Order: sequence, then C-alpha cells, then structure tokens
Amino acid sequence: MNLYREFVKGIWEKNPILILGIGMCPTLAVSTSISNALWMALAATFVLIFSNIFVSLVKSAVPSHIRIPIFIAIIATFVIIVELTLKAFQPDIYKSLGIFIPLIVVNCIILGRAEEFASKNTVLPSMLDGLGMGLGFGLTLTVLAFFREILGSNRLFGYTLIPGMEPATIMTLAPGAFFTLAMMLWGMNALKSRKRR
Amino acid sequence: MNSSIPRSTFILGLTAFVAAFALSHIKAITRPVIQKQERRKMESALELVLPGYTVGEERSAPAGKGAFTYWTASKAEGDATRKGYAFIAEKAGYGGTIQTMVGVDENGAILNISIIRQSETPGLGARMLEAASRNTFFEVITGNAKSADEEPTPWFQEQFRGINASARIEIVKKGDWNESMREELMRKNAVSAITGATITTKAVKDSIEEGMARLKAALDEHAGHEEANAR
Repeated sequence: MNLYREFVKGIWEKNPILILGIGMCPTLAVSTSISNALWMALAATFVLIFSNIFVSLVKSAVPSHIRIPIFIAIIATFVIIVELTLKAFQPDIYKSLGIFIPLIVVNCIILGRAEEFASKNTVLPSMLDGLGMGLGFGLTLTVLAFFREILGSNRLFGYTLIPGMEPATIMTLAPGAFFTLAMMLWGMNALKSRKRR
Repeated sequence: MNSSIPRSTFILGLTAFVAAFALSHIKAITRPVIQKQERRKMESALELVLPGYTVGEERSAPAGKGAFTYWTASKAEGDATRKGYAFIAEKAGYGGTIQTMVGVDENGAILNISIIRQSETPGLGARMLEAASRNTFFEVITGNAKSADEEPTPWFQEQFRGINASARIEIVKKGDWNESMREELMRKNAVSAITGATITTKAVKDSIEEGMARLKAALDEHAGHEEANAR
C-alpha cells in the first residue's frame, strides 16, 4: 500500500468537500472568517486523526452490527476533549465557533472516514488518511473563508482592508457560501478536464 | 445471533466506560482553568459595565423560572455619592439564551453592556462580539499599525452606552454601527441591528428592557425589607 497516496488523496483527488461532497454544514457555517476556518480545520483534523487511529485499532474486536454506536462514542470522546481544551485555553475561539464545535460529532467527514477507511485499514494508513482528509477539509475551508471574508466583511485576518467601504453582506450569509463553493467547484473541474485532454 | 447479544452489550459497555473514564480525567484537568476563566470574565465584565464604581455584593431576586442577579455599586463624585447598578439580562436569541451584563447609572442610562454568554450563528448573530480593528490589513503587513492599545469594545456593545434603559429602545437597520452614528441614534434612543441578525439584536434589547423592570422591582422590594427591618 502506498502510504503517500493515502495521505495526499484527501487534498485533491478525494477532497472531502469538493469531490466527496460531505461535511457541508460546518463548511457553510464557519467559513465566514479565516481565523474561524483555521480553528475549525484544526479541531476537525485532530478528531479525524484520533478517531481514525482508534477505529482502526478496535475494528477487529467490534461486531459489525454495533460498529456505528462504537464509532460515534469514539468520535464524541475526542470532540469533547477538543471542546473542553478550547474552552479552557482559547475561550475567544470557543465563543466564536459556538455550537459548531460539539457538532463535529456528526460531521459526516469523520464518521465517513471511520466507516469507509479506518474500519478496513491498519493504523498507519488510517492516521495518514485522517491527516490528509483534515488538510483537504482545512484548505478548502480556508480558501472559501478567504474570499468570503474579503468580500463579505471587507477584512482579512480580522483587519479592515479598505477603510469606509461597505462590504457585500450577502457573502457572509449562506448564499455567499454557495456562490463561492460553486466557483471553487467550477475551477476545480475546469482544471481537471484540462488535465484529462 | 443470540450469543452475540451479550458480547455486543459487553463491547458497547466497555467502550462507554473507557470513554467516560478518559473524559472524567480531561474534565478534571480543564475544570479549574475554565472556572478561573469564568470568574475572571465576570469580574472584568463588572469592571467594564460599572467603570469607576465600587461594586457591592451580588444579590438575587426570584424571576420567572430562574433568578435575577444584580449588583449595587457606588461612586464618590465630589461630595455626592452616585449609585450604579449592574444586572444580568437574559433572553432567548436565535441559537439559545443570550446573557448580557448591563450597567446602569441612577438615572437609568446604560454605562456599558457586556455579552456574557451566547450561542448565536458565527458570522451573523455571533458578530455581537466582533470588534472592528482600527488597523487596516495593509497597515499591519507594512508595519505601520497603530499600537494595539486595549482591545476595542465590539461595536454592537459600544452602541448601547448612554442609551436610556428605562425607556423604550428602538432598533434601526443601518448596518454596522460607527462613532458617527452615535448622536443620531442617541436622539432616537435606538441601536443599530447586526445585519442579518435582527432577532439577536431584538433579544438583547428586549432582555435589557425586561431586566431594567426587574431591577426596579427588586430594588423596591429590597428597600421595603430594609424599611420593615428598621421599624
């Protein structure tokens, strides 16, 4: 098995958001500013890596008909660890991400990778799969947030870009996320089809 | 199949046990830090909403299902002693209860407010906590940034300063508040709603009006008790 391939596939070839089309809810909700996007990506990647590791460790001991509750219990444990840690050491970030931290439990990327990859593979590839998928998720989120923060709030990294300019508020709302996501998909598909030719 | 039921039960139970065990340890590690953060947040909120005042002890009065928490404070100004009050206002917003600490002077004018707890949508209602940086992005990357004096108060909270909490507070939709809007809004006793989050704005406004009514009732009752005690 090619470990490098398992790692990089999450970034482009099997990007969770753009290709697999999963994990849309946090994508649309927290990509309004780059700092939110980065912290969300960090939290989700942490949970992904560790849930993948533990799922691949226990996979042979778990009867297949109760695997989903077991996976959810593992994922929820790591989400609570992230939640408590952020609450204790990064209270501002915890405040601004709010409900979307506990909602990582039901992020389909994480359960999806546990079910589709970690429960069928050994520890090392599962860990790399988690890291790659987390990076793919984080990169997409950051690019999305980059455009939404500039156009929607006239800011970058929380700093005003053009003083006094009225930003296009629609970009911070859900339609803005859909527009940007559609543009990114368009760009990605255009690149892909050019490669194929 | 039958033999797998006890086995499944055991495995599920074991998973839950291990998870609970691990989490109890994490909780034990983080709890003192979280409590310290919350205590500090309460203290700095009191300092913010009652600037320059000496804050007395915390009091509470029954209100609806829960309790209404308030503080009395005083400040010496020349010969006179000015009184001030702080209370915790709460009301359901779009994504849960919003708790706000409100400081008012003896005339009912708001000295400052501070959002203590909220779970509004990030990028919309949660912008009530967002402070506009005075520096622009280019000033920061070119190193011309003005010194980062204390963190600016979020505009949403800033605009409540000076508003009369005893009267009806209006909501106008003028986008993000800035200093130049202060005079006009003050005349109307109005605040500007967060774009796309009018429900959030209204919840804070309503909670302040309600809290003010509760504060008056609680103060009257307290005064009544004291009178009775004196007799």
